[in-house]
Amino acid sequence: MIIETREFTRVEGNGKAEIVIEGNEVKDVRVKIVEGPRFFELLTLGRDFWDVPDLEARICAICYLSHSVASVLAIERALGVEVPEETRLLRELGLIGELIESHSLHLYLLVAPDLFGYPDAIRLATKHGELVKEGIALKAFGNRIRDLIGGREIHGINVKPGGFGRWPGREELEAIEWEAKALLTVAKRAVRLFSGIGEYGGRAELFVATDGYLTGDSLISNVERNFQYFERIEERPLVYSFAKQSLYSGKPFLVGSLARLLLKAESLTPTAKRLFEENRERLEAGWVSYNNLAQVIELVYALERAGEIAKTLLDKGFEPENVPVEAGDGEGIGYVEAPRGVLVHHYRIADGKIEYSNIITPTAFNHAMMEGALLWEARNLYGNAPEDELLRRLEETVRAFDPCISCSVHFVRG
Amino acid sequence: MKLGVFELTDCGGCALNFLFLYERLFDVLEFYEIEEFHMATRLEGRHFDVGLVTGTVSSHRDLEVLREARNRSDYLIALGTCATHGCLQASVELPLKEKLKAVYGDEGNPMRALDPKPVVEYVTVDLAIPGCPYDKNELFQALIDIAKGIEPVRPDYPVCLECKLNEYECVLVKKGLPCLGPITLGGCNAVCPRSGLGCIGCRGPLPGEVNPAGEFEVLKGLGYDEEYIMRKFKTFARWEP
Ligand code: SF4
Ligand code: SF4
Repeated sequence: MIIETREFTRVEGNGKAEIVIEGNEVKDVRVKIVEGPRFFELLTLGRDFWDVPDLEARICAICYLSHSVASVLAIERALGVEVPEETRLLRELGLIGELIESHSLHLYLLVAPDLFGYPDAIRLATKHGELVKEGIALKAFGNRIRDLIGGREIHGINVKPGGFGRWPGREELEAIEWEAKALLTVAKRAVRLFSGIGEYGGRAELFVATDGYLTGDSLISNVERNFQYFERIEERPLVYSFAKQSLYSGKPFLVGSLARLLLKAESLTPTAKRLFEENRERLEAGWVSYNNLAQVIELVYALERAGEIAKTLLDKGFEPENVPVEAGDGEGIGYVEAPRGVLVHHYRIADGKIEYSNIITPTAFNHAMMEGALLWEARNLYGNAPEDELLRRLEETVRAFDPCISCSVHFVRG
Repeated sequence: MKLGVFELTDCGGCALNFLFLYERLFDVLEFYEIEEFHMATRLEGRHFDVGLVTGTVSSHRDLEVLREARNRSDYLIALGTCATHGCLQASVELPLKEKLKAVYGDEGNPMRALDPKPVVEYVTVDLAIPGCPYDKNELFQALIDIAKGIEPVRPDYPVCLECKLNEYECVLVKKGLPCLGPITLGGCNAVCPRSGLGCIGCRGPLPGEVNPAGEFEVLKGLGYDEEYIMRKFKTFARWEP
């Protein structure tokens, strides 16, 4: 017998799950990504490197800037371009804005209704209007940063190889510093709220992240340091899904907020570090549902870090200067922590044109883990709870991963 | 009035952009009740006064959702360049079988994918609002107009004009950048030239008296090769110069 969930709601993109039952026992769970394929790697082949980041941004609206930055980093590595510190900091600021935008969308608008037992945020707003408004204020701030650094709230084209189309001015950075400070109180309050989340979805054992907090030169995990994605991670296509599945040395693994906190807590800002320490034991238990708790701690981190970056740039001052980029040959990988976890863009460039392109998104990295978490929940609840409760819990488990299905459907054969 | 938002294959941006109306979303909610919004809710509506469809038709599932949306909506809006022109995913010119093979290996087509096409190629729509993503003010205005029984106004000028109104330096003439502003439908307030970058045409071609052949010659004159220009023209909409 097969129980099928309806398409997941309150997640980005279209997917559903199938629970395979044999002889009264849960045999398997399949996560089917039904969103159609989008062929992004094919689209970039033969294109001029300069145009590629703007196209890659369109992979996902929630994390478009992560895609542009990963793409730009890969191109710069391939063409041997080094950018100065201020360019790096401004890009980080953009990614921080994206983290704020994405986490607050997920937590306040998609997860909070579950916590309070409402079907959606619009209906939640009738009772808890303040809460929803706070979430929207955070999200709007994240978007303001994306607009400033990325050029638009969604799919801006301002992040370019070598620098930016337009550089932010002093006053704009001052506004960021000031606003980040003001919103920090809101985020701290949210930590209390979301720490009420229960334990479900099974426990993850393997975690993978990039070596820096939001960008990196290589990957790290809880069993080894500094490896390249292709050395350890294997991708395989599935007949029932438009998204591929990744395994790390043959096993499912988790990327995203929880993985970042567990692997890189030492890089956190002061308040975020304190909050992490307070919750360390629970987080270390590795329950998939605690990804939500990790996200809310990261929200505090992001606001503190946004202020720090703005202040650093304002104190030291900067010249809006781009590094010239010449078309040439080379190969490069861009590693970025998108809000949902590790994102890889890998290109080979010949005479300024993209010749090979591979992209792996966080949701694809998490796909196997997601099936594992659902299997765990299904085994736990099947026969012990009514079917609608089982299905509701499965949906909540999927949501804990904050999957981004649009992102996950365009992989080229490795 | 009942509103439904339907998402086919896309990046989620056009659905998300609706939420990015922030406080003005509450103004929309004065007129509309959201009966279906995949990304934000889990209620299932039966009949919609206004339906918004985003994304391309890229699978049989998409086609079913689209037909349902059309049948149940009095006024259907194709929202965003995916829905109106096919956007990026429709620009890869290879037979579907070959595309699937390149991406997923040679497993055939078990998920019943279709060659990505805009919504407007399958059903008639009452209004098309392009943009990758569309300008949210434009959607806001359209929804309010429809609620009041007025037919929404459609912009009919190029991005170029918005540069002039904003007094932005022309990136095509001054910097020699490949800018599609002269032949692209305005309405975004020339946000990319604001960053000193060329318009990449995300709002699709300006209908009517536009002169793509002239633009083609200008870009050739700047030293861009024909294949490069053609690709630019074809990225968001299948544009014939
Ligand atoms: S038109 Fe652009 S923003 Fe809208 S869904 Fe398609 S890719 Fe995303
Ligand atoms: S300037 Fe061009 S590319 Fe930029 S938003 Fe407007 S239409 Fe799209």
